[in-house]
Amino acid sequence: MRYLPSSPVEDQALLDAIGVPAAESLLAGIPEALRLGRELDLPLGGSEQEVAWQMMGLANRNMRFCAQFLGAGAYDHFVPSAIDALISRQEWFTAYTPYQPEISQGTLQHIFEYQTLICDLTGLEVTNASLYDGGTACVEAALMAVRVAKKRSTVLVSRGLHPMYREVLKTNFAPHDDLHLVEVGLKDGVTDLADLAAKLNGDVAAVLVGYPNFLGAVEDLTALAGPIHAAGALLVSVTQEAFAFGWFEAPGKAGADMACGEAMSLGNKPNFGGPFLGFLAVKDAHKREIPGRVVGQTKDLEGRTGYVLTLTAREQHIRRDKATSNICSNQGLVALRANIFMHLAGPAGLTGLAELNAAKAQHLRERLLELPDLEPAFDQPFFNEFVLRYQGDYAALEAACLKESLLPGLDLGRFYPEYQGCILWCATELHTRQMIESLVEILARVPVLAEEV
Amino acid sequence: MFLRQREPLSFERSVPGKRGMDLPKPDVPAARDTRPAHLKRSGFAALPELSEVEVIRHFTRLSKWNYGVDDGIYPLGSCTMKHNPRLNEKVAGLPGFTDSHPMAPDALVQGNLELVYTLQEWLKEITGLPGVTLQPSAGAAGELTGVMLIRAYHVSRGAKRRVILIPDSGHGTNPATAAMAGYEVVELPSLPDGTIAFDDVTDPASGKTRKGLRTLVAELGPEIAGAMITNPNTVGVFEYRFKEVSDLLHSVDALVYMDGANMNALVGVARPGDFGVDVMHLNLHKTFSTPHGGGGPGAGPVCCAERLMPFLPVPVVVRDTVKVGEGEVPRHTYRWDWDRPQSIGKVHTFYGNFGILVRAMTYCLSHGSDGLKAATLRAIVNANYIRVRLKGAYSLHIDSPSLHEVVFSDTLQAKHDVHTLDIAKRLIDHGYHPPTIYFPLIVPGALMIEPTESEGKDELDAFCDTMLQIAKEAEESPDLLHQAPVLAPLRRLDETTAARKPVLRWTKA
Repeated sequence: MRYLPSSPVEDQALLDAIGVPAAESLLAGIPEALRLGRELDLPLGGSEQEVAWQMMGLANRNMRFCAQFLGAGAYDHFVPSAIDALISRQEWFTAYTPYQPEISQGTLQHIFEYQTLICDLTGLEVTNASLYDGGTACVEAALMAVRVAKKRSTVLVSRGLHPMYREVLKTNFAPHDDLHLVEVGLKDGVTDLADLAAKLNGDVAAVLVGYPNFLGAVEDLTALAGPIHAAGALLVSVTQEAFAFGWFEAPGKAGADMACGEAMSLGNKPNFGGPFLGFLAVKDAHKREIPGRVVGQTKDLEGRTGYVLTLTAREQHIRRDKATSNICSNQGLVALRANIFMHLAGPAGLTGLAELNAAKAQHLRERLLELPDLEPAFDQPFFNEFVLRYQGDYAALEAACLKESLLPGLDLGRFYPEYQGCILWCATELHTRQMIESLVEILARVPVLAEEV
Repeated sequence: MFLRQREPLSFERSVPGKRGMDLPKPDVPAARDTRPAHLKRSGFAALPELSEVEVIRHFTRLSKWNYGVDDGIYPLGSCTMKHNPRLNEKVAGLPGFTDSHPMAPDALVQGNLELVYTLQEWLKEITGLPGVTLQPSAGAAGELTGVMLIRAYHVSRGAKRRVILIPDSGHGTNPATAAMAGYEVVELPSLPDGTIAFDDVTDPASGKTRKGLRTLVAELGPEIAGAMITNPNTVGVFEYRFKEVSDLLHSVDALVYMDGANMNALVGVARPGDFGVDVMHLNLHKTFSTPHGGGGPGAGPVCCAERLMPFLPVPVVVRDTVKVGEGEVPRHTYRWDWDRPQSIGKVHTFYGNFGILVRAMTYCLSHGSDGLKAATLRAIVNANYIRVRLKGAYSLHIDSPSLHEVVFSDTLQAKHDVHTLDIAKRLIDHGYHPPTIYFPLIVPGALMIEPTESEGKDELDAFCDTMLQIAKEAEESPDLLHQAPVLAPLRRLDETTAARKPVLRWTKA
């Protein structure tokens, strides 16, 4: 086994020093009856070449596309080469959580810079070292809001929130008989203000809305903040496409009290849905209720600036069952990718990329609307995703697109029966005019193409 | 490492007009601005302006202040800092995996689904448990999923029950998880070897008595939803009465959760499914060599007994066999099954940290049944070699062969007013990452050392020689230890002020 530094002579020397005849003798502490009395029924180990080929075989069994017009919470963006090069340094990817600050200043300073930039993007004052993904970030935000609000036990969730985020929220609220999740309906693609008003009351701790929401529409946080704050509740914005922060105002400046969501777009590929990058940013007043790892600036014995994990009194290794959460890690390397991405992009890059995404999506929408069987489902300002109603058969459209190696938008009826027959389309900086034209050309011939399949 | 004393915050280096990224030329009309005026992005306050070379140098210099597994032994107990094979990284970066979209139709991601299915089969054989979900993103996320399975089981039988039992030697995530899953935690006392106390335990100093497992089961019986037990425990000892523990809990229909953080001691040697475990998590970033990444991403798959399988998170991967002609090899197709009426629901937005699963699968194929067992045995030999070499110089918590890790305390050094923290910091001056310190809580001044199977005799000897030298320094010149580290980029940091007056981001002066 190439990974084991083992040789007959050295192995024997180790056993002699310990004073046992064989490694198996050291298993004496495991009662005989509880041991596996046989070898594992698994294949024998493989050489690097054999394993590489086997894994490449699996990778090749996934279909590759010329273009993906599917976003829905996992966005394909260009990843600068510097990111993979830096990430492959062993000092970054093999290191552990920075428990020993003197020997982990690299990770700690990076997280401090990352925290600074997430605060910048969201317009809020405090964030943590990251959370698992968008769905679990919503859970942490909702539970934190309940702690902050005190004696309020209801969390309102807009139906415009990513359907999977809503599912993850449901799973995590189920064990708490004393907490309630209530859905607020949609009108014209955004949160229905009348339904919201009807459901806001003195028991509501927070309201979660998409920004932009799953349907691509931007929610007017400022308009929502009025009634929500009047009811004494917190407004939590949930952003599933971090590139939108270059286009729409920072949620903290538009009226949100907390901002959470998914930042995989910053320097990561879709990766079949993970590892992704959950984030949660809050106001300074709420900092001692934030879950997860937080890095702070301090001084060493000689007065030099350094960084440490801080506010640990909130955490599970100190508070045990009274902790703000059970999370004791972060998405370290994914956060580092995002941090490097933000450093490379800078303000001009993030703004420019956002403009490109908006331009491509608008162009795609206009071209699609020129086709006879596509029409708007509603009309709201959007970023790089939008919904169109399709008169034809989605299965035929999908078959026609796949035949030409294009992945079409999402069949929205899968998640929203009221949007049966609608498709959620996405375009990013990766989509050229030519790709968009190919899609339009295929859609114009769907019945013919689909029949040939 | 440690090339420079100081790399400033990137923000202090920012110069207006510099760019680290050029954008593609627009080939469509410029975006029309349909945003309401108050929702237009008003600008950024901190995003730095730097060229690519400056960004690369910044993050390269920062990296040199870290210690990684390739720098040498990384003896953090219970963290299993083993070698991170480069093949795993290369494979996880294949575009066939990285470009695949989580919402793509099942037929287009057959490679991914086969990988998920195959890794689950390996984990089933390794744990002896028939149900698996790969969705949890980390060990703590796995714990939460596992306890929610326990809850769903009891709810399906009429009542969710109230209490989870957790030994005082357990990791802090265990009680935090139980609370997140809506349970009250009752602490189980442990014996000095970290195993669970069956009988009541009286503390000789305070005279206080704590109820043992038998009393708690007798008193709380039908209120107990389950127990969360780390095995081998945090002292590195196998819970040798595990079968009795699980039988006793099962007698009141309470379930047994095993924290699999220390599974590196058991793979190929003993299987939790064979000694009464109902549900457990594995840490792929420990036992299965996926990199720790400075804190993540990890993966915490959950394996469970048959009676918990109906409650597993959705979706569940399913393999169908395609009918073929006689004499032909049967073909398989894979799909997600979303129709699981008793499922606890989703625990991750998509399917978990897939990129980490790719690495763990690669680890499994590289090792095979033979390599997995050889790794376990070598990890145990290495820990015992350290035990034997350091015994006498450091106080051994229990003087019997341990499994994959060994726990010392600072009792001998305390006589010279040298404590665990000082020993840890002095190791940094000698060029090593310190072991886990002050954990488990049941061992005062604990130094918990886990070398893993990745260390050769030379590395082990060099580390042990250093530890012996530090023990000598503690006697002869304790101040060396009190002052340590002096050779790292920074001396000890003021954590109190950091927490009292938190500075959690950079702001423009």
